[in-house]
Amino acid sequence: MVWETVAGAIELLVFPGFLFIFWLSLFYEWVDRKFYAKLQYRYGPLHTGPKGFLQPFADFVKLMAKEDIVPAAADRFLFTLTPIMVLALSLYALFYVPMVPIVRNVALGAFEGDIILVLFILTMIGFLKFLAGWGSTNRFSAVGSVRVAFQLLGYEIPLAIALLTAAMAAGTFNISLIAQKIVSEPIIGAALLPALAIAVVCFQAELERIPFDIPEAEQEIVAGWLTEFSGRRLALFRFATDVELVLAAALMAAVFLGGPYGPAIPLIPVQVSYFLWFLFKATILVLVLSNIRALFARLRIDQMVHLSWRYLIVIAIIETVFIQFLLVMGVIG
Amino acid sequence: MSGEYEPESIFEIPVGPQHPALKEPILLHFKIEGDIIVDVIPRPAYTHRGIEKATEARNYIQNIYLCERVCGICSFIHTLVYTQGVERLAEVEPPPRAKYIRVIVSELERIHSHALWLGVAAHELGFDTLFYYIWRDRELVMDLLELITGNRVNYAMSTVGGVRRDITDEVAHQIKKGMKIFRERLDVYTEVVEQEPTLRKRVVDVGKLSPHDAVALCAVGPTLRATGVKRDVRADDPYQAYDEIPFNVATYHTGDVLAQIVVRVLEMYEAANIIDYALDHMPGGPIRVKVPWNIAPNEVISRGEAPRGELFYYFKSNGTEKPERVKIRTPTLANIPAVRQMLLGYHIAEIPIVFASIDPCLSCTARFSFIDVKTGKSWVWDREQLRRYSLKWYGKQ
Repeated sequence: MVWETVAGAIELLVFPGFLFIFWLSLFYEWVDRKFYAKLQYRYGPLHTGPKGFLQPFADFVKLMAKEDIVPAAADRFLFTLTPIMVLALSLYALFYVPMVPIVRNVALGAFEGDIILVLFILTMIGFLKFLAGWGSTNRFSAVGSVRVAFQLLGYEIPLAIALLTAAMAAGTFNISLIAQKIVSEPIIGAALLPALAIAVVCFQAELERIPFDIPEAEQEIVAGWLTEFSGRRLALFRFATDVELVLAAALMAAVFLGGPYGPAIPLIPVQVSYFLWFLFKATILVLVLSNIRALFARLRIDQMVHLSWRYLIVIAIIETVFIQFLLVMGVIG
Repeated sequence: MSGEYEPESIFEIPVGPQHPALKEPILLHFKIEGDIIVDVIPRPAYTHRGIEKATEARNYIQNIYLCERVCGICSFIHTLVYTQGVERLAEVEPPPRAKYIRVIVSELERIHSHALWLGVAAHELGFDTLFYYIWRDRELVMDLLELITGNRVNYAMSTVGGVRRDITDEVAHQIKKGMKIFRERLDVYTEVVEQEPTLRKRVVDVGKLSPHDAVALCAVGPTLRATGVKRDVRADDPYQAYDEIPFNVATYHTGDVLAQIVVRVLEMYEAANIIDYALDHMPGGPIRVKVPWNIAPNEVISRGEAPRGELFYYFKSNGTEKPERVKIRTPTLANIPAVRQMLLGYHIAEIPIVFASIDPCLSCTARFSFIDVKTGKSWVWDREQLRRYSLKWYGKQ
């Protein structure tokens, strides 16, 4: 009993809880920046730590130490609340996604229906970003916020369909169980690859990365909904974006690729193999997301919504019908 | 602004004088309805540097270095047109070899300027990978310019009566080798522009300008040629050695941002061909002749095709070693009415790329002209009126 409480506390606070997520987020920001830079014949972060490894951490500390400014015209309540909420919600969602489930063999907060909760949180994050921009009372922020809301309309539905298709194929709404099911029956994973592709595109939009960095398009609207944020608040938003990147990679790894579960690696305890499998799958997904970032020009907001409603949703529905067909025929499930 | 009634749905966005899309200060005051631009008032003149006035206090040789600094990117064409004007004032003819060297350097400069623009355009579209690739290959041309002139940006190459450095056979060989590599890289970018779907989505049918409007609004350079109007100072009023070198004036018919990209890419190919031809047919002989220190009273104009369009200089001499008046008209100034027309009716997201499509070089542009928004009356002040106005203004404070 005591051991279980202590183990639970360690799991929550240290591994794979807050401390682990903190360093993993900064690590993936470094991976993302370094890989993106290499694709563009640049060096990327170089000086802080070996190969610039500590640069994201240094950026975070630097921003935290800066002067805290609230514009006179801004809504002070929203301006303070939104950075905290966005970060808190991204961290919260991660407790339902299996990363390294060392104690209970499933994610820390796993319950039947957590995939719906995670989808809700993803939408709330988008909505909070809209409020953040709207509350700062700046012309560029206002345009950026409207774009956040439009973009949410674009990517939310195909993302939900893609994730729920996986839940349908696995026959459960528990993310950890979906992951285990996909590992035990790899054919489900193979049938879900189109849904994975849709989820990758949608998460690229959720994370506001090229070609969907429309809400914070630097050349058009300065920094979009982020324009007025500086110092601590900006640090929190940037860190929240990193956590979201981890969330995106971990969620896609779990729902479509089996997350931390995988064939046992000989001579290695199962907990370590969880860690290795998770790191392997999530890192590949982060690299895929970075690679997309280097390939395209930025779309216009109406083109993005058009792309989403004209193509992504249609493909997502076809995929759902296909999975339903396989279920009825008894090929899977 | 004007105080008269405006519907609530109109949203005003000031872009500039400081804005990430602008590399130099200009204020574009947009009126937006929904996401569509309904009006835009451009206000240049944030960087008036008094160069024209400063030329009157310096002698003809010192002014070369001053005029070189009118523009940071097309610095050679400014010295070329300036020295060409002073040669016409003094009625001397530069030696033929100097003319060819001037053509070679100005075409290399055109390549580096267009490559720079293509990178900036990609950056404005959020396509940073293309931006970094193009700027890496632009280094090739910058290195060649350094090899010829000793400098990367302000070449100090053209001087009154000729050029300051010769192109040796070895350097000529290097340039040819460089042009061969550059053409191969250009093929890659042509392919990207032709086939990359997200790039095409952002540039096809965006920022359209009809040939009629382009001519009526006095557009110049690639902005004009992108609408299909075949007008180029190099062909229409050949200067230096351009009358001896065969080349095509690149045009494209659609008049949108894609056309601007295509015209500039074609011009880069054309410039590489001109350089190769000029290196093969370069006559021997001296590269510089002597020009008298004092120049008799005279009045001339001098024109050249800068990378951004027609560059125009007016000179008046008064028999001393200093000019009486030098008047410069840079191509960006001529293109500002056209870019206003190009922006109307498009989305907020297209502001950066459409404005960047004229390749604005604003620090060369600062001039005075006044428009009263209420009455629509416009006027231009000369120096004396401006001085009187400033005395009155500061007297009131």
